[in-house]
Amino acid sequence: MSRFLDKLFARFNIYREPGYYGKYDYKWTIVIDLDKCDGCEACVIACHAENNLPIVGEEECSKNRAFNWIRIERYVEGEYPDVRVKFIPILCQQCGKARCEVGCPTYATYHNQDGLNVQVYNRCIGTFTCATYCPYDVRHFNWFSYKWEAPLEQQLNPDVTVREKGVMEKCTFCIQRIRAGKDHAKDEGREVTDGDIQPACVQTCPTGAMTFGDLNDPESRVSQLAKSERRYRLFEDLNTDPSVIYLKRVMKQT
Amino acid sequence: MDTNISYKEINDDVIDAMTRTGPLYYVVLAIVTILTLLLFFLPWIYQIKVGQGVTGLNNPSYWGVYLVNFVFWVGVAHAGTLISAMLYITRTQWRRSVHRSAETMTFFALIIAVSFIMVHMGRVWNFYWVLPYPNQRTIWTNFISPLMFDVFAIGTYFLSSLIFLYFGLIPDIAAIRHRSAGWRRRLYVMLSLGWRGTDREWYIRDKAYMLFSVLIMPLVVSVHSIVSWDFALGIVPGLHKTVFAPYFVTGALYSGFAGVVLLISILRRVQQSSAKYITERHYDRIGITLLALSLLWSYLTILEIVMGLTSHSSFELEHLRYKLLNPGFAGLTALMIFSNTILPLSLSIRKVRVSITCQFIISIFILTGMWLERFLIFGTSLPRKFLPYAWHDYHPGWVEIAITAGSFFLFILMFMIFMKIFPVISITEVKEEWTDS
Amino acid sequence: MLKRRDFLKALGLGGVGTGLGFMLGESIKTPATNLIPYVVPPEDIVPGVANWYSSLCTQCNAGCGIIVRVLEGRAKKIEGNPHHPVNQGRLCAMGQAGLQALYNPDRIKTPLIRKGSRQSEEFRAITWEEALSVLAENLMKLKIASNTEKLFLLSSVIRGHMGHLFETFMQNFGSPNYIQYDLFQHKELIFANKVSMGINILPHYDIGNTNLLLSFGADFLNTWLSPVNHSLGYGHMRQGRHGSRGRLVQIEPRLSLSGANADEWIPVRPGTEGILALGLAYTIIEEGYYKGQDINEWNKILSPYKPEIISELTNTDNERIRTLAREFASARPGLAIAGENAASYTDGVNHIIAVNILNHLADNIGKTGGVISNPEAPIKKTQSLKDIDALLRNARAGEVETLITYNTNPVFTLPHNSKIQEALENIPFVVSLSCFMDETTAHADLILPTHTSLEDWGDDISEPATGYNTATIMQPAVSPLYDSRNAGDILLSTAKRLGNRLQKNMPWDNFRDFFIESWKTIYEKQRHTYAGEPVFEDFWNKVLTQGGWWDQEKRTHQSIHFIKDNVKRFISSSPSLFQGNEDEFPFYLILYAHSGYYDGRHANLPWLQEMPDPMTSVVWGTWIEINPQTAGKMGIREGDLLLVESPYGKLHVPAYLYPGIRPDTVSIPIGQGHKTYGRYAGNRGSNPLDLLPGISRHETGTIPLNSTRVKITKSSEKGNLVKMEGITKEFDRQIVQTIPPYERRQN
Repeated sequence: MSRFLDKLFARFNIYREPGYYGKYDYKWTIVIDLDKCDGCEACVIACHAENNLPIVGEEECSKNRAFNWIRIERYVEGEYPDVRVKFIPILCQQCGKARCEVGCPTYATYHNQDGLNVQVYNRCIGTFTCATYCPYDVRHFNWFSYKWEAPLEQQLNPDVTVREKGVMEKCTFCIQRIRAGKDHAKDEGREVTDGDIQPACVQTCPTGAMTFGDLNDPESRVSQLAKSERRYRLFEDLNTDPSVIYLKRVMKQT
Repeated sequence: MDTNISYKEINDDVIDAMTRTGPLYYVVLAIVTILTLLLFFLPWIYQIKVGQGVTGLNNPSYWGVYLVNFVFWVGVAHAGTLISAMLYITRTQWRRSVHRSAETMTFFALIIAVSFIMVHMGRVWNFYWVLPYPNQRTIWTNFISPLMFDVFAIGTYFLSSLIFLYFGLIPDIAAIRHRSAGWRRRLYVMLSLGWRGTDREWYIRDKAYMLFSVLIMPLVVSVHSIVSWDFALGIVPGLHKTVFAPYFVTGALYSGFAGVVLLISILRRVQQSSAKYITERHYDRIGITLLALSLLWSYLTILEIVMGLTSHSSFELEHLRYKLLNPGFAGLTALMIFSNTILPLSLSIRKVRVSITCQFIISIFILTGMWLERFLIFGTSLPRKFLPYAWHDYHPGWVEIAITAGSFFLFILMFMIFMKIFPVISITEVKEEWTDS
Repeated sequence: MLKRRDFLKALGLGGVGTGLGFMLGESIKTPATNLIPYVVPPEDIVPGVANWYSSLCTQCNAGCGIIVRVLEGRAKKIEGNPHHPVNQGRLCAMGQAGLQALYNPDRIKTPLIRKGSRQSEEFRAITWEEALSVLAENLMKLKIASNTEKLFLLSSVIRGHMGHLFETFMQNFGSPNYIQYDLFQHKELIFANKVSMGINILPHYDIGNTNLLLSFGADFLNTWLSPVNHSLGYGHMRQGRHGSRGRLVQIEPRLSLSGANADEWIPVRPGTEGILALGLAYTIIEEGYYKGQDINEWNKILSPYKPEIISELTNTDNERIRTLAREFASARPGLAIAGENAASYTDGVNHIIAVNILNHLADNIGKTGGVISNPEAPIKKTQSLKDIDALLRNARAGEVETLITYNTNPVFTLPHNSKIQEALENIPFVVSLSCFMDETTAHADLILPTHTSLEDWGDDISEPATGYNTATIMQPAVSPLYDSRNAGDILLSTAKRLGNRLQKNMPWDNFRDFFIESWKTIYEKQRHTYAGEPVFEDFWNKVLTQGGWWDQEKRTHQSIHFIKDNVKRFISSSPSLFQGNEDEFPFYLILYAHSGYYDGRHANLPWLQEMPDPMTSVVWGTWIEINPQTAGKMGIREGDLLLVESPYGKLHVPAYLYPGIRPDTVSIPIGQGHKTYGRYAGNRGSNPLDLLPGISRHETGTIPLNSTRVKITKSSEKGNLVKMEGITKEFDRQIVQTIPPYERRQN
């Protein structure tokens, strides 16, 4: 009897694994070294260029509706002259146990076999549940169908959809680059090598604070960095299992 | 209750109320229709055309006045079911005159609640994707999502309320069908399904009605619990509380009863005949219920605040601080406490309870307070999530305010049309009441 | 029962209705546009497959190399060139936004000639033929009247062959008046280095390998000199070397972005950075860290800078000065850099020289992790023979007949007190070679649109390089969008029209020919290093593919001799001069380059307008930074509109409460306040340069930015301050977690 039950439950236990796959193909991770990040926001602009993010204008910015899939948060402590400024880049953490995936009624956001939290634009009906559930506030909504003033639309990246109004979007770890990288590797009959694929933000970071790679691969740079004694994840005790690992900033304690 | 009224008189009263319409009715109907169009439908169409950007929503306050209205209207709907179903099972007598209007209130409130779900959606033309139907993409909906629970819960509730309402209407329609003419007659003949009033039919109907009441009764608790879990299942501080299910259900019944009071008070004024059937006794009983619910609600609110204060969680404390101390919200919180806790305490005095004016005013305050309660839940939890850098306040835009106001007018519009087509007092039940007494 | 007649009626109606409905549906569909823009695509275009072109980033003066992703003839993304020694594959925010300059909706598409008065800014489109004849006519008139020296050519700072072409043109035309002007030219740094170390070319500041970096007002991670290279070095300095972590101490009155990353911020009094540097230098001498023979002489020179004496003046604790000096001298290597803020005082040169002295005495010059000299450029540097002051003086005196400007906007980047507008009014004929209708171009009589850098040929010698010769090639990544031309082409066609000497000495048909020929010369000179490229064509292909030419083998560490006698003249124990008396104008005014707009040139790029400022998160506007304690005393809250007045001008700006600034100082970013310049930049914010006096330094001819005091009055209005941040407090939520430093930290 118990064997029967085991077999029965085994069929359903696979649904408890995020992404429904016992093992991820890759587990894409970004390691951000906060001791190197200097808050320059090159990553912010690179992301705009790569992912067809619209410019919303001054009025919409005053309503906090700008599209910064990655943003640099700045926390300031102390008073003059003992001012301590800390920068942290916040992007979609691609949580392993994502709250947003639980909330979406139409499966517009789900976990794919690369460990990424994927947003399907044409399935989204705009219930805002994912954005409300997200503890990191990294989801952005297309409040209008934004227009690019000609000829700025010539710059749009053809590998990335341009979203219409009513659709939620967020950082995808430049999934178009991941797909291209995986296809390229497949053409050459090999696995993806470490460093082949870089999201726009990681590629442009002038201090080299960001590293991208496959955590499943023990030889990759991110696996080495993830062993650091300085590692932590944002709001780890919320149990969201984020795929972004931060390395603590070295700073005199007060 | 004046027991000298004959059955014929009851029938006459009800039919006269429906068929004899003065010009005032048409004037008011026209005004309400225009207001509904202007305030509810036109801004909504504008919003669909231009995008959700015309609201005051932003990152991170993605849920605002629309969801508040949704919860409010679903809450209002619950009281109707409580009165018709639950009080039927307990054989409470005073429910008889008021339960039809309460049940109607439920039905229309649900319609408005569902419309608010659609108003708040970004791509409303794909609304039907939340329904789990087999499709060529071989994709089902996400059953784990609390919004899907909503779909089933509210869908079930909607259908059940409709059928329940209809069940109650059948004998009433049959009673008046022969007395009517023209389109009314055709309508009533069709809807009464050939009811002949035989003993067997009455027996079956009573059994079916009782069965339905029992089936519908759990919905009173479950639907609003499910609606509350829309919010409680997010980990947002201020929303992520286990007390939400009982809190929302209590709040729903509370605001619903206040809505019933409003409704029957207006009905008494507008339809002179109804005044005979809705008396002090009803107000007295409803008043006691309101008091009981007010005390329960106050207890749960205090519980919520105390749990937040003793939580040692920076997130919860910030949310509480924002709700209770922030200049913008402190006033609203005070108004809410006054309307929901302090003012209804006066209902412990019998004189207040039986005074229709007093109850009317108290009910308006209660409804305002309950609407504010939901607004405070959203307006203070979403702008103050986990990352302080991302905090941003929420101010409703004109579209949201217009649609909110428009929804009340839509409710009035629907009710005004209903009361001219169907009897608002349940003829059957009233007759039964006197037979029993 | 349906009768036959009714059936036929229904059928007819249904049929017609369906047909109408179908036509209605078709008519409201937008006409299909082609997916692929070519009927017969050019050979190198495969739809969906990108071509990458190596080129040069011209968004600031660092000269980083870029690669441009081009799909179907359209530029889609700019990345750093991984082979380029300066930026090694990385790129800053300004560089990434270069795409929006190419596809900007406000580009000038055809040559324009002025219709009404200069103030009316009305122009009429004309053909190139017409435009070039107008220009040639005007220049011919000057030639005939023997007034050739009344032609002035004003361009941005150009280090490559375009500058040579301009020089050649001016020489052959007969005018010595070729001026290069940008707001940030590092002329003070170059002058100071020449005076103190005898080097003509900027050295490499080896931040990556240093142990203690003292930054005197240098926003080196953000806008100073070569930000991407410095950032690379910074990352390496912090966590790139196993076992050691470099430290950064920032010494400036206003905490910049680089300062925010520092281990310590010393808020020195404005105008006393040099004095503090000399205080550190004195401590090094006094406590025996300096091992040179001339220690006694140095002691005499530096004795006025004893820490106890200068402590009050610099507003720094004297014990801290001593301990810092000890740390610096023991850092081995340490590095002190003097940035734009220090250079921007009236006597900015003195401050830089003081910092150079500090480096010298701490033995950092010529060492890894210190100041490394760069070899002389492979091509002769274009000498800007005159400075912008010469233009202003001559124009006022009526000695300028024709002014040709290229890629520079002095009407915006000079304070209006320098009377640049009046000067322009005095010039009868102004020609602007420009892509955008900026303020200077709006005052021109003839406008000739030039290519943006993604459509153009050119080159640049990176300065500072990283220890060896580096030249970057700029090549077109896309065909020109509009009817614009390369500036060199314009001058060459004008030369042909002017005939005689000009035509003879400038025989090239277009700039590209001149350019390739110049590179042949470089190839010949450096032939011995290119055994692998026996023919110029191979060399040229290699250079184009990799984006430039650099010779890592040939690191000539030009030795640097410190010239003590020179520096004696340039150091001073008095703080820098600020105009305006202290009682009436209580605040020091510090101006700085904005991380997006730089000197105002990128205010027309919407990405950069919407980029939140890294230190304040303000977008789409200007603001003034004021210390919260000062603001509290004056009753100023965030967003209040303040009236800022200097003895020379006034502005209205909203306030931002900034804890990282001295209570006696206020700061305004440069970059907004454009009157024209397109839909994104026009009529937005304020230009703080209008608060400055119009005096220039005589050593360098540049305008000191930190040279005036201001007074602040609270107005009754609320300013328009749009910021993206919520609250910048962490509330113990462990968001940015930190770990204390200790020696020998492992990663």
